[in-house]
Amino acid sequence: MRVITAVIAIATGALILFGYFFEPFAIVQTLLLNWAIILASVAALVGIFNLLSVHTDKIRRGEKGSTYSALLVIAMLATVFFGIILRPQHTVMQMLLNGIIIPVEAALMGLLTVSLLYAAIRLLRRRADMMGIIFLLTAVILFLGSATLPFGDIPVIGTLIRPWVSQILALGGARGILIGVALGTLTTGLRVLFGIDRPYGGQ
Amino acid sequence: MSFSLDLITGFISLFFTILIFSYLIGDNPLFRIAAYIFVGVSAGYVAAIAVWQVIVPRLVYPILFGSFNEKIFASIPLLGGLFIMMKVSSRLSGIARLTMAFLVGAGAAVTIAGAVVGTLIPQVNATINMFDLNAAASMNIGKAEALGNGAVIFLGTILTMVYFHFGASPKTDGSMRRLGLIEIAAWLGRIFIGITLGAIFAGVYAAALTALIERIASMSNFILNLLGNF
Repeated sequence: MRVITAVIAIATGALILFGYFFEPFAIVQTLLLNWAIILASVAALVGIFNLLSVHTDKIRRGEKGSTYSALLVIAMLATVFFGIILRPQHTVMQMLLNGIIIPVEAALMGLLTVSLLYAAIRLLRRRADMMGIIFLLTAVILFLGSATLPFGDIPVIGTLIRPWVSQILALGGARGILIGVALGTLTTGLRVLFGIDRPYGGQ
Repeated sequence: MSFSLDLITGFISLFFTILIFSYLIGDNPLFRIAAYIFVGVSAGYVAAIAVWQVIVPRLVYPILFGSFNEKIFASIPLLGGLFIMMKVSSRLSGIARLTMAFLVGAGAAVTIAGAVVGTLIPQVNATINMFDLNAAASMNIGKAEALGNGAVIFLGTILTMVYFHFGASPKTDGSMRRLGLIEIAAWLGRIFIGITLGAIFAGVYAAALTALIERIASMSNFILNLLGNF
């Protein structure tokens, strides 16, 4: 099994990768990616089933917080039922999307305003070193520079410092971080393709 | 019908927004109720999308109504899907590794291509293009300014990457330290990283503030419209 899984992973990865560079492999690449999309969907369903079983187990054992688990299970089963029977485009499903999913996501994002402000204050209190000060100073400059004020932009900060900090200094750092992340991703992907890392099991 | 559905959606939206905002007074049962229902509904919605947008059109239809070739090609992911479902059973979960290996291989290839074509080449090209004086002239940017900006961005990119270089050689006293030049470059790289993270923080904070304002505006509009109807 250990060898078979490694062969499957390496062959699949190599064939898909060849599809990007060699024209004849493009058809195979499309086919394999189509299979991958189907299998990823099935994997997502298995994951959702696992979430369901974890919470039903909690309810069965009467663990602390099982009332919340019951709410989760009811909400999930009802959504799956309506989603499968009526399809996601149906008005009821759109009501769930616009009434629960989008507002809760936006409200959680809104809560970040308070959490981030609290985190920034804590950072200044606990770690007032060079890195912390540069970090917060940059954030403050960008806020002041982009704030919409009745009298327009703040002189120098809004017209000179903010564009230079965000478009030159921050861009340089961001580019370095992005290239570093891409190199790390490339290395990790190659390790999987060469069979050095086997996250699918069978080490 | 449309009005009543909008009304119900508005009520639900208002109710859940208030439950989530109750977290401002600390973690409480109201917030947890909203969070658990949100997770349940989201998971159910994802399941419905996965079934109707992917599994039915790409797997079920070809198996039931496709040509012979389509049925053959669809039978392989069908088998893979059955394997992956074995993950539910602790005794047969090993079989799921075959499908997981396929998914990991496919994911690795897509990730490699994405990293090279989507990030590495465009970012390197963009850094080089900063020194393109003809392009700068077409945007009314002076030569000195273009070269200066390009040099600062290039320096920032290099110094930031040097900061993440942790290769070190042993000293005579047994301690492990980076080369002096790399140590200085890494120190300068920290400044660029601090500025970049500060800019990202400001961006995320602005987005969070926008979401907060949208929620408050949505709630107040709904309440005002409701009061206006009576």
